[in-house]
Parts: sequence; structure tokens; C-alpha cells
Amino acid sequence: MMIFWEIFRMAIHALGVNRLRSVLTLLGVIIGVTSVITIISALEGLTQSIRTEIDRLGPTTFIVSKWGIITSEEGFWEALKRKPMKFEYVKAIEEGCDDCELVSARVRDEMEVKYRNKKISRCFVAGATSEIIDIVDFEVGQGRFHSHEEDLTRRRVAFIGTGIQDELYPFVDPIGKTIKIAGMKYEITGIAKKRGSSFGNNMDNFVMIPFSTYVKDFGTPQNSLDILVKARTLEVMDQAMDQTRVILRAYRHVPYDKEDDFAILTADSIMAALNDITKYLRLGLVGVSSISLIVGGIIIMNIMMVSVTERTREIGIRKSIGARQKDILWQFLFESLVLSLGGGLIGIAAGVILGKVLIGLINMNMSPSLYAIVLGLIISSGVGLFFGIYPAMKAARLQPVKALSFE
Amino acid sequence: MPLIETKNIWKTYDMGSIQVHALRGVTISIEKGDYVAIMGPSGSGKSTLMNLIGCLDTPSQGEYFFAGKKVSRMEDDELAVIRNKEIGFVFQTFNLMPRSTALHNVELPLIYNGTPRIEREAKAKKALEVVDLTDRMTHRPNELSGGQRQRVAIARALVNEPSLILADEPTGNLDSKTGLEIMQLFSDLHGNGNTIIIVTHEADIASYADRILHIRDGRIEKDQRVTQEDRIANGTTLQ
Repeated sequence: MMIFWEIFRMAIHALGVNRLRSVLTLLGVIIGVTSVITIISALEGLTQSIRTEIDRLGPTTFIVSKWGIITSEEGFWEALKRKPMKFEYVKAIEEGCDDCELVSARVRDEMEVKYRNKKISRCFVAGATSEIIDIVDFEVGQGRFHSHEEDLTRRRVAFIGTGIQDELYPFVDPIGKTIKIAGMKYEITGIAKKRGSSFGNNMDNFVMIPFSTYVKDFGTPQNSLDILVKARTLEVMDQAMDQTRVILRAYRHVPYDKEDDFAILTADSIMAALNDITKYLRLGLVGVSSISLIVGGIIIMNIMMVSVTERTREIGIRKSIGARQKDILWQFLFESLVLSLGGGLIGIAAGVILGKVLIGLINMNMSPSLYAIVLGLIISSGVGLFFGIYPAMKAARLQPVKALSFE
Repeated sequence: MPLIETKNIWKTYDMGSIQVHALRGVTISIEKGDYVAIMGPSGSGKSTLMNLIGCLDTPSQGEYFFAGKKVSRMEDDELAVIRNKEIGFVFQTFNLMPRSTALHNVELPLIYNGTPRIEREAKAKKALEVVDLTDRMTHRPNELSGGQRQRVAIARALVNEPSLILADEPTGNLDSKTGLEIMQLFSDLHGNGNTIIIVTHEADIASYADRILHIRDGRIEKDQRVTQEDRIANGTTLQ
């Protein structure tokens, strides 16, 4: 053990002698590790943020939709041909699904909203039954959400996000004021709690109105109707989904040998689909950035080869006074390891910082992941070992006589 | 049992189509405590013989016993252990580590056999004391004179208390006065019971030894005991 430590000190000493060269050699690995870590931290942060967003759906909630998650063009055309969702399914599920606690319908579109001379030309407007407030994770900040009665009687009431409040009602209390949605006047009854933003989208720029009012004013949308269902408990989630599926298949007349012509989405299934879609993107990005790591490794190897040649005589002297092959091997391996690990450490630091900056640009929070750091260390020491072993073996196997007479 | 015993050793180098015989059947025997010079002109095979005796290389044919151990068929790492423990080298060009201090240079052989730090430093300091360089321990080779460098090298050779000190033209890069000092040091070391082999092409250097092996064309030509008359004839002066 002690001899290892001494050999390690020799390696450090040798690197210190060629300081400039050592630093230049580091550069390759620094750049490589930096890019890998940056990309991994950014992707991690992105996934994390998507995860939080999807988790708003809640673990017991699922969405029944005509669309599902479309990953191909054929999938899109296939889904387009499907029959639209119908509002009557809500009642059917409420009655037929024992394990479903709440069922809500939601339609949505982008419309112009106005208050006096201020307007937002493309605002997310949703029509939903009153149950949605207890299904999807958003809370009432001020006022109230529309009631079941208001929905049934098609009252023109609206519930807005804080983004709308900030933009259209900067100096007045919006509750009781009107908001014009595509020319129609609505009375504001409540404001949601601030939700923040993700992917640069302000999650607080929305207006929600009763489902029936939406249908009356804007018509029945063919493609955007979703049914949101909340199961009674997490344990009966699967049963609730199965029951819902059976009901929908019956209502939509799906033959027993055909697949569902609708999709049931959960937080988990959305996440899984997302991971699936981004998998190749991630592999590609990491692959591209790994190229610089390989270049970094080759630089180390090259420098170590030069170093072995330059120090042939030194190796000869060491051998003549009793250094064994492994002593020489370790000395040179330590040198390349120290180089690559040093580069790796700097690269990790730079990568984490850069990743944060990148993530900051698209308005998301991210903590440096331990995973990225450990990965950086493993990668850089792996590079050092892989590219250092050949020069080190070359040094270790030198014949003492030849090495000593080397000029 | 002789310290060094070679039996008909050959060293042949393959130079493409032709074979060069650097040694053609050398049989020698050197006892413990001997002071031997191997002398011959350049190209005589004396360096090859030194490399073999020093376990830096193995013979193509024949057997070599070092302190009764057959080393002629040993592996690289086994030879390294012998070099570390049993042989102290002194080279014409000193062969010190240029970036390390005198003390660290002398410690180096001890590092390779795992001697603990405190013991290592003590031994290295003692060896530097023997060559009278205690005041130069922290100096690097480029801050030392040629004679001092060679003394550091000798201290390094001594530090493991080897059975054999093997010097290859130790005065070759020194002026005659300094060379004389170094030869005096070898004679002192021999006086203290060390076995010394010096490889040289100079007759006056060789005559410091008690015995001269003349080598020519890869063969031992003459095995000569050095007498006081020889020394006087060569102008060798010892105090």
C-alpha cells in the first residue's frame, strides 16, 4: 500500500514538472466531461420538471381521450379517424364505474380574452364541469370555482389564473368584473393559486368556464373533449380504469376483437411515453458529446506516449535500481488517471454550472444530480485507464538495457 | 560459494540476417569481497558482460549463478528484485533523477522495496554520510559538481547494502583529480568489505582493483592478479 502511495507521489511530481503540458492535456477531458455533464444535467432537470408537471394530475387521476400520446404520423391519422368523445360518457362512467369517485369533462381552445382596452389574443380557455377542481391539482386562491348549478344553467362565469389577473387587471380586483371571451361577456368568480411556469409556459394564463356554457357559446368541439376521472383510492386505480374501459368500449361499439379507439392516460403512462420519445434524443446528445471525451482520451494517450519516449532513460534508471514492471505501470497509469480525473472534476463543476444556466434559460429549477457527478467521475477515470493503459504497459515492458542506453 | 559464477555464457544479437556474438562463452567466478576490474577496448563485449552480471539482461546461452541462485533464466520482475536488493549500480553518466534532490535520489531504491519512510530517510542520510555529502542532501543534480553527482550515485548504490557494487566507467565523465577521489572512495568501500566490479577501458583505473579480467572479442583473454608493481607502473596512487 505504501509503495502505491509513493508511486502516486512520483506521478504527481512528474505532472508538476510539465505543468503547462499537463494543463493542456486536461483540456480535452474537461471539454468532454463538461459537455456530457451539461447535457445530462439539463435533461435530468427537464425530466424532473416534466415529472412535477405531470404529477399535478395526481396518482389516482386518469384522462380518457380520443388522442392518447401520438408518436407517429400514422398514429395521428389513425386517431383523427376515431369517433369523438361524447359528454354522455361522463354520466355513463359516473353510473357504471363503482371505483370512480369523480368524473369531469373538459374541452379547450385558444381564444382572445379582453378586459376594457387590454387583451390577450391567444389565451387558453377551457370549459369543464365543476368536479374538475377536485380532480386536477389546482386550488382556489380567491373567490370560488363555478358550481354544478351554474354549469347546468349555463351561466357565463369564469375562473382565471393569476397570469390573466396580472395582465388584464393590474390595478383592480378582478372578482365581480367581467372578462370578454371571444366577444362574450363573463363574470369572474374566482382566481386560482399561482402555479408557476414550466418550459417557459406560464401555467397561470388560463380561463375556465362551465362546460355547458362553453358548448352553448362556442359549440361542441369535435376533437378536444377529454374526460378526467379520479379513482376512489390508489389501490382501486386499475379497477377504475378497467371499468371505464369496458363502459367506453360498449358506448363506442368497439368489436371485441378490435383495440380501444381511445386512450387512457395516467401520470405514469404519460411519463413513460415521454421517456420513450426522448430516449433517442438523450442517447444522441450524450453520444455526440462523448466524442469530445474520446478525443480527450486520445490526447492523454498521445501525451503519455510522448512522455514514455522522453522518459525512456528515467524508466531505465528506475528499472536498474529495482523497479518492477508493475511499479512502472502504476506510475504512468497514475499519471494518466490524475490527468483525466483532474479534468473530470473540473468538467463536472463546469458542467453542473452550465447545466444550471441552460435550465435557468428555460425557467426551470434544477439541483445538480449526484448521478451526473458520479457518472462524470466514472467516465473520466475510465477514459484515463482506457487510454493510459497502453502507454503505461509500453513503459513497463521496456528492456532495462535498451532503456538505459536510449539517447 | 562464489558470489558470481558464470558458466560458458553467450550473448548473441540478431541483426536481421546476421548474428552478432557479443559474448562467446565467458566463464568467470568472483568471490565475495573481491575488487575486480573488467577491462577491454570498446566493442570487446565488456558492457554486455556488465549488463549480464548486473542482471539487467539474460544470456542467450550458458548459466549464471548469483550468490548460488540461478538467475540466467529468471523473469523480468525476479531480476528487478535481485537488482534492488543485491546490486548497486554506478554509471558513467551518473543516471540520477534530474528533478529530485540528492536525498530523494538515494531513497529511490528503498521506495521500490517498500521501506517505511522514517527508516528510508535514515538509511539514505547514512549513505550520503559515507560519501561525505551530508551538506548537499537537498540539492538537485544540476546544483552539484560531477564528482558530487557521482558520489550521490554511489550513495544510491550503497543504500540497500548490496552484495555487489557494479560500476561502469565511473570516472569516464570526470576530470582526473575528481576521478581519483572517486577511485579512492571505491577503495575505501572495498576496505569495508564490499564486493566491487568496475568496467573500464583504462588500464590505470583497472589497476586499482585486485584482479583484472581482460576481455576481447567476447572472450576472457587474461585473468590477472594486480601486484603493487603493476600499480606503480600505471602510476596508481592510493592513500
